[in-house]
Amino acid sequence: MDTSVLKVSHLKKLIQKKLIIEDVSFDIQAGEIVGFLGPNGSGKTTTLRMIVGLSTPTSGDVEICGYSLKKEFVKAMSNVGCIIEGPDLYDYMSGYRNLELLASMSKDVTKKDIDEAVALVGMENRIHDKVAVYSMGMKQRIGLAQALIHKPRLLILDEPTNGLDPQGIHEFREIVKNLAREKNISVLISSHLISEVQLMCDRVSIINNGRIIRSASIDDALVTGEVVWTLDDPQKAQLLLKSTFKVEAAIAGHTLRATVDPERLSEINNTLIASGFDITYVEHKKRTLEDLFLSLTDKHTI
Amino acid sequence: MIALVRNEVMKILLKKKMPLIMILLLIFVGLLSYGQNYAYERNIDQFEAESGETAFDWQGLTTQRLDELEERSQNEAIPGEVRASFDREIEQLNYFIENDINPVTPTAAKFNVSFAEQGITLFIPLLIAILAADLVSSEFSRKTIKILLTRAVPRWKVLLSKYIALLIMTTLLVFIIGITTTLVSYLFFQEWGFSEPIVTGFTLFEGTLNSDSTILIPRYQYTLLIYSLVWFVSIIVASITLLISLIVDTSASAIGILMAALIGGQFLQFFLSDWELVKYFFVTNLDLTRYLTGSYQPVEGMSLNFSILILSVWAIGSIAISFIVFNRRDVLV
Ligand SMILES: Nc1ncnc2c1ncn2[C@@H]1O[C@H](COP(=O)(O)OP(=O)(O)O)[C@@H](O)[C@H]1O
Ligand SMILES: [Mg+2]
Repeated sequence: MDTSVLKVSHLKKLIQKKLIIEDVSFDIQAGEIVGFLGPNGSGKTTTLRMIVGLSTPTSGDVEICGYSLKKEFVKAMSNVGCIIEGPDLYDYMSGYRNLELLASMSKDVTKKDIDEAVALVGMENRIHDKVAVYSMGMKQRIGLAQALIHKPRLLILDEPTNGLDPQGIHEFREIVKNLAREKNISVLISSHLISEVQLMCDRVSIINNGRIIRSASIDDALVTGEVVWTLDDPQKAQLLLKSTFKVEAAIAGHTLRATVDPERLSEINNTLIASGFDITYVEHKKRTLEDLFLSLTDKHTI
Repeated sequence: MIALVRNEVMKILLKKKMPLIMILLLIFVGLLSYGQNYAYERNIDQFEAESGETAFDWQGLTTQRLDELEERSQNEAIPGEVRASFDREIEQLNYFIENDINPVTPTAAKFNVSFAEQGITLFIPLLIAILAADLVSSEFSRKTIKILLTRAVPRWKVLLSKYIALLIMTTLLVFIIGITTTLVSYLFFQEWGFSEPIVTGFTLFEGTLNSDSTILIPRYQYTLLIYSLVWFVSIIVASITLLISLIVDTSASAIGILMAALIGGQFLQFFLSDWELVKYFFVTNLDLTRYLTGSYQPVEGMSLNFSILILSVWAIGSIAISFIVFNRRDVLV
């Protein structure tokens, strides 16, 4: 059985005859936090709108917990909580009223569930004030509570930290991480901030000009395939690598660096040790997500 | 579904639309009843000044009219129906004499009817528009439409709950109009007048409107009849406004378009009353209460039943289109 909480396949969207989303596919497993990274205007919000049923894809499918969004909207959406370019609140009501209002739209949401969600986002003290007097951070918390009262399995957050101060961003991040860890909620979180994705997410899908250009776990995305050995005789090792493994390696001081398939790495290391080299470090060179992001998106033209 | 409707009613109430409508209503009703009372007293003063009498002798005038009617109904040449209508009027005038009521005094019962008759084409639709215009458009302008449409509720239910809430509030508003006009005008006139008889060509007979003969009914029945027509027209206007507000996105333009249609429609009716198509426009058909007071035909071939049919078609059409538009719409706010 397919255990995907969210499965997006080949989404395409034309708005006013302009191709905004060309081909977007990815999926999310239970408990995963997935970053949806892309520069401004790359189509993140447009994609998320289609995932939560606000707009209809020109073609392609969305499946949530096994339910097709098109055919079984209600069942699919009962598993989703979202904030799309939000938070969106009725500012002439209190925060609590806002939550009650949405609670009554889902089956079996009790007052206890509302109170729990309020406690989770730490808004107990101000919950009965009118939304109009809330700060952006408080609104964002209520928005999160709105998305959580019906205990969804998938949380979709569109640039949730926009407009928050660093303190607020930090707190928000901790809340979301806890949700995934403790309640096994999957989170799809869009962002144009690399650091945010790197700090929160297990995996990342990078979108540019309406196309997914890379989907991978954060670790994999950062691996360049470059290995650096620090050892006693780099010149001799360089020759060995070339003759035995046909690997071109470059020397820099006491280090030797080469691009190697990770699967061959232990064989290479064993050979080096067997040949009497004194290895102090072997490390794989990571690039920053920023490098990756820039290398993938620098062709973009607006 | 009940929960959804409750939410929508609560939103309308919290948006403080009702107080605004109440204030508008109180101002108008207050001014009008004051004005009517003032005009009435001035007329009497004038009459007394001209005739040189110290008190307005309504009994004299009424008796004079009674005698005239009785004399005419003696005439053998008069057809049966006409005689029947004379008999109704005689009966009515006798009631006034016997109960010592001046038939031309303004009363609350008369005022609430004439307010409805005057308001049904413009003022009451305006109040309904204030209520209905931002029902959907405000969700878009506040962007809260996104939280409404991303819950596990199909779109048609969201719209239906709004529509039902609108019907409830419209009904409530018609009640409020009836009660406010009655109470406020009573303050000025000090007369209820609900049991006075009135001659009408229409009666609610076993649920259907019967216009075969004129009869005499107490005023409160007539008021109920008029207000059921007002209620019907209000529902129609609410349905059409809902569609407009769905299409244009802001409540200001929705109210603007509706007002333009209402006023433009009256122009059409005035200038092009021999143009066949005009009678299929909803505005031409709004003035239902006028059918009750004589042989009203704004455009040839129109009747009460015709107008009710046309209005129903407009409302049902608007609702159907609203649901289709709302279901398909891409929410890009
Ligand atoms: N309502 C709209 N009408 C036309 N074009 C739009 C609309 N909304 C977004 N776009 C276009 O779609 C592209 C992607 O926008 P969006 O999904 O909001 O990007 P992101 O959320 O990644 O910043 C942009 O080029 C934007 O101009
Ligand atoms: Mg965006």
